[in-house]
Amino acid sequence: MNELDTIAAISTPPGEGGIGIIRISGEDAAQIGALILRHPSGRKITSWPERQVRLGLVMSPEGKFIDEVLYFLFRKGRSYTGEELLEIQGHGGYQNLKKILNSAIKAGARLAEPGEFTKRAFLNGRLDLAQAEAVIDLIRAQTDLAHQVALTQLRGELSTVIQRLENSLFEILVPIEAALDYPEDEIPDLEREQVAQRITALCLQLEELLAQAAQGVILREAASVVLAGRPNVGKSSLLNSLLGEERVIVTPIPGTTRDFVAETIDLDGIPVRLIDTAGLRESEDLVEKAGVERTREIIKEAHLILVVLDAGEELTAAEEEMIANTKHKPLIILNKTDLPTVLSVKELKDKFPDYQVLSVSAKTGDGLAALKEAIREALIGRRDFEEHPVLVTRLRHKEALEEALANLQSVAKGLSQQQSEDLLAVDLRAALEALGRITGRSVSEEIIDRIFSQFCLGK
Amino acid sequence: MRKYFDVAVIGAGHAGCEAANAVAKMGFKTLLLTLNYNNIAFMPCNPSIGGPGKSHLIREIDALGGIIGRNTDLAHIQMRALNTKKGPAVRALRAQTDKHLYQETMRKYLEKQPLIMMRQGEVTALQRTKDLWRLFLNTGVSYEAAAVIIATGTFLRGKVHIGSLSYTSGPQGQHPSLALAENLEAQGIKFKRFKTGSPARVRKRSIDFSKMIEQPGDRLAHGFSHWLPWQPRAPVSCWLTYTNERTHQIIRDNLHLAPLYSGAITGIGTRYCPSIEGKVADFPQRERHQVFIEPEGLNTDEMYVAGLSTSLPEAIQDEFMRTVPGLENVEIVRPGYAIEYDVVSPEQLLRSLQLRDCPGLFSAGQINGTSGYEEAAAQGLIAGINAGRYLSGEEAFVLGRNEAYIGVMIDDLITKENYEPYRIMTSRAEYRLSLRQENADLRLTDYGYKLKLITEQEYEAFLQKKARIQEKLAFLQENYLTPDSREAQLLQEETGVNLQQKTSLQQVLKMPEIKLPLLWRIFNKEASPGEEDEVVENMIKYQGYLEREEKMAQRLLKTEAKKIPATFDYTAVPNLSAEAREKLSKFRPETLGQAGRISGVSPADLTAILIWMTRNNQP
Repeated sequence: MNELDTIAAISTPPGEGGIGIIRISGEDAAQIGALILRHPSGRKITSWPERQVRLGLVMSPEGKFIDEVLYFLFRKGRSYTGEELLEIQGHGGYQNLKKILNSAIKAGARLAEPGEFTKRAFLNGRLDLAQAEAVIDLIRAQTDLAHQVALTQLRGELSTVIQRLENSLFEILVPIEAALDYPEDEIPDLEREQVAQRITALCLQLEELLAQAAQGVILREAASVVLAGRPNVGKSSLLNSLLGEERVIVTPIPGTTRDFVAETIDLDGIPVRLIDTAGLRESEDLVEKAGVERTREIIKEAHLILVVLDAGEELTAAEEEMIANTKHKPLIILNKTDLPTVLSVKELKDKFPDYQVLSVSAKTGDGLAALKEAIREALIGRRDFEEHPVLVTRLRHKEALEEALANLQSVAKGLSQQQSEDLLAVDLRAALEALGRITGRSVSEEIIDRIFSQFCLGK
Repeated sequence: MRKYFDVAVIGAGHAGCEAANAVAKMGFKTLLLTLNYNNIAFMPCNPSIGGPGKSHLIREIDALGGIIGRNTDLAHIQMRALNTKKGPAVRALRAQTDKHLYQETMRKYLEKQPLIMMRQGEVTALQRTKDLWRLFLNTGVSYEAAAVIIATGTFLRGKVHIGSLSYTSGPQGQHPSLALAENLEAQGIKFKRFKTGSPARVRKRSIDFSKMIEQPGDRLAHGFSHWLPWQPRAPVSCWLTYTNERTHQIIRDNLHLAPLYSGAITGIGTRYCPSIEGKVADFPQRERHQVFIEPEGLNTDEMYVAGLSTSLPEAIQDEFMRTVPGLENVEIVRPGYAIEYDVVSPEQLLRSLQLRDCPGLFSAGQINGTSGYEEAAAQGLIAGINAGRYLSGEEAFVLGRNEAYIGVMIDDLITKENYEPYRIMTSRAEYRLSLRQENADLRLTDYGYKLKLITEQEYEAFLQKKARIQEKLAFLQENYLTPDSREAQLLQEETGVNLQQKTSLQQVLKMPEIKLPLLWRIFNKEASPGEEDEVVENMIKYQGYLEREEKMAQRLLKTEAKKIPATFDYTAVPNLSAEAREKLSKFRPETLGQAGRISGVSPADLTAILIWMTRNNQP
C-alpha cells in the first residue's frame, strides 16, 4: 500500500536555482540515505545526528559520484511529514536534482505522488484537524485529475499500443497458466523457441517506446547540450551568441571558464540546457583539474555534444580524439570563421565523413540559425510533434515500461535456460502488472477469465 | 436433561468432519450431526482428491493437523504426481480413492475421538438464546451449543434436475435439508442459488477397455500426509477415451432439453466443473473432449465417467455415451444430474468464517460457495479452529495470502462477489513460488502445534526434519568446489559444467543443470528420505524469486495490519466513490488490505478511509 512506502521527490520548484532540495520520507529514509550518501572523504555514513547539517557526496547506487550536497535528517515524529525524513540540498538545476532523485529511487524509494508529503503530514497528525477536509479534497482532486489524464490517454495512442503489448503477453501467459492448473487437459505444450521470438519482438517494441520516452523527457525536462573543446576556441562566446546576451566572461587567457556555465534556452519549443565546460586540457592547476574531471563526467551524461574548433588553428590530435571518442556522435562546430582560417569545413568533412560539420561565427552570428536547427534535429529528429505526439512523457510510465522490459528480458533468458514454467509465469505476470500500472488492467482476474474463455477445461 | 456441547457441527461431509476433528483436538466437546450415518465423508462427485492448488490445500490442512490428507492416503487406490516438469510451485499429487473405504476410514477415525459425539439427525431450526445456540432436530430432540458450524454442502434446499425431471433432493438421492434453510433465512441470513452437476455412473463390465488408453498410477515415495507412514498400494488404473462429432451432434440436437438451457435452472453454474452440454455449446470448434473412466472403489462395479457431467434426460445420456469408444454397450447405474442449492452470500462472512452478525455461528464448505472436497475441508478446519478460539475468547486464526492457499481462498471468498462456485487454482496465488506443497509443514506446522492440532510426537518429528534441512543448507553454504578437485572433475563428467574458480555448493546448485542428488553423490552424502532434499533444492535454486515474493509479502503485511473497525461507517467518509462506498458497506472488510482487494475500490478510496480513520482516532 502506498502510505507505507518511503517516498522521494524534488521539493523545490522546477527551473534554475542556486540549490535544490530532495526530500525522502518514510521509515527507510536513513537507510536509503546510507546507500546514496558518503562523507566528503568517501567513507560510508554510519551516524545520523538529528537535525545537524552535514556536508556529503551523493553517489549513484553503483558508486558513481553525482553531486556535493548538504544533508540533514529528521527523526520520526519530528519532521514535516511526521515520518523519518532526509533532506538533501544539492546544486540547483533540474538535471542534477533528478539524478539525485533517481539514485534515491534506485536505492528503494518510490517517486512521490503529487501532494503525498502533505497527505502523510496529515496522516501522521502533523497537520491541524481543520485542514483535514481540504487535504482530502486536494487528494481527491489530484487523483481525479490523474484519472482524467489516464482517460485521455486511454483514448489515445499510448493506451492502444500498451494494450496491444498486454494482449500479446496474455496470449503467451494464458496457455502456460492453464497448463499449470490443468495438467491433465489437452493444452498444447510450451513452444520455447516460438515464444522466445515473440518475447524478443515485444522487447524491441518496449525499447522503441523507451527511446521515445527519452524524447518525451527531453520535451518536458530540457535536453543537456555540452559545448566541448580546447580552451579559447570560443565556446563561451558561442554560448552567449546562442543565448543572445553576454553572460559568460570571455578572455583570451586559456582556462578562464573554470567551472560550468549553464543556461536554458527555448529552441523552437524544446527546452535546451547549454553547458559550457572548463577548457579541456591538461593542467597543473588543481582547481582546474577538478573541473576537467567533471567535464568528462558531464560529457558522458549529455544528450548532445558540440565539439567546438577554432577555424584559425590546425586540428590537434586531442581534438580528433575527442570527436572520435565521444559516445553520441557530436556535432562539429567550426568557430571563428569571420577571421582568417586554416581549417575548413571541407577538410573536416573529409576527415569525419559520418559527422555533421557546421561553420559559425559566434562574433557575427553567421551560421547560428543553421546550428540551432541542427541541434534540434540531433535531439529529437525530424519528428513533427503536432502529427506524431510522443507517447511516453511521464516518468512513471517510463518506469513501468522499463520494469516490463526487464521482466521480459528475464523471460527470454529463462526460456533459453530451460527454466520451468512456473518461474516464466512469475516474470510474465510481473511484466503485465507493470504495464497494468499504465492501463489499469487487473492481471490476475483477467488471467483466469482468459483461461476459461480460451480453453475448455475441467472434468 | 440438558444436552450441552461446546460446538455443534451440522453436516458430516468434508468440511464438517474436518471442523469436528479440529474442535475436538482443541479440547472441546463436539456434536457432529449428519442426515445419514451411512454417508459420513461422502463423495458425491469424483472419487478423486488433489490436483494443482487442491493438492496444496490438502498438504496445508495436513500440516495444520487436519485429517483429509491421512484419510486420502489410507483410502487411495491410485496416486499420480502431476506437473513434475513444470516447476516446484505447481507440483501436485492426485489420488483416486475407494469411496467406500474413504468413508469407512473417516467414520472409524471420528468414532475413536472421545470428544466427538457423532449421530444421525436433521436440524430443522437454530435459535440463539443468550450466549448459546439451541439446535432443534426434526425428532423433537434439541441440543445446546456455544458455537455452531453449518457445513451442509449442497443439501440446503437442494433440487436435482435430470432433463425435465426435477425434485427436491440432496446429492445422489439423499434427503435434502429444507426446514433449516427456511429457518436461517427467517433469521436474516441471505442466500443465493448455485448449481453444480455430476456425470452418470456406469457398470464396469459394460465397458470395453480395449478401446481406451490406460492411465496407470505412479509409484511414489510419499503421499499427502506429513505424519502417517506412507503405504503405497498396488495402483488401480483409470482409462481415457474421447467424445467425437457424433457425441456432440446428439448433445446439440437435444440442448433444449437440458435444464440449464431450457431455463429450468436458475442457479449459477461453475466454469470449473462444466457439463458436457456446456462444453459442446461453448467450444463448438473442439472436435473431441476427454473422458476419464475412474473406478468408484475396489469392491464395486460402479465407474465414474469424468468429463461427461450432464443433466440431459437419461435417454439422451445413454444415447450420447454410446457414441464414445469403449462405451458402445454402456449400462447406466445412476444417471448424471444437476443440483441447485443455497449458498451463503459471501459478504456475511468474516475471515474467521463466522457470520458477521451471528456471534458463534460459523459456516464452512460448499455452503460458502466453493466447489471441491479440498476447498470444503480447508474451510472446515478454519471454521473449527475459530469456533474453538471463539469459545476461549481468543482472536480469530487467519492465514495470510502469503502464508497459505487456505489464506488465498478465504480472502477471495470474502472480498469477491462470487458468481459461480469457487475453485482454488495455483494462478490465484500471488506468492505461488513460496506456497509449495513440499514446504507446507515449514509454513504451517508451528501454527498447528500452537493450536494443539499437532501432537507433541508429530511436532518433535517436524523439528527434527527442520533441523536436518538447516544442516543441509549450512553444508551447501559452507562447502566449496575448487577447480581440478576430484569433486569438480566428477561434476564435469556428469554434467559438463566446468568450474573456473572456487565456487560454493550453493552457487553450484543454482546452475540450471545441477540437481541436489548429484551433489550428494559427489560428496558421498546420503540423500534424504521424503521431501527434505526437494525443500533444500527449491530454497536455494529459487532464492532470488523467493526473496522477491518475500518483499511483496512485507508490503502486504503492512496493509493487513491496518484494521478497519467493525462499526466503521462508510457513509460518513467524504470523497469515497459511490461504487466503493456501496461495495465496502456490503463486504465490510476487516483490514485496509482486504478493502483494497475489493473490485471497484481505488487507491484514492483507501486514502480517504485511512484519513478518516486517523482523524477519528485523534483525541
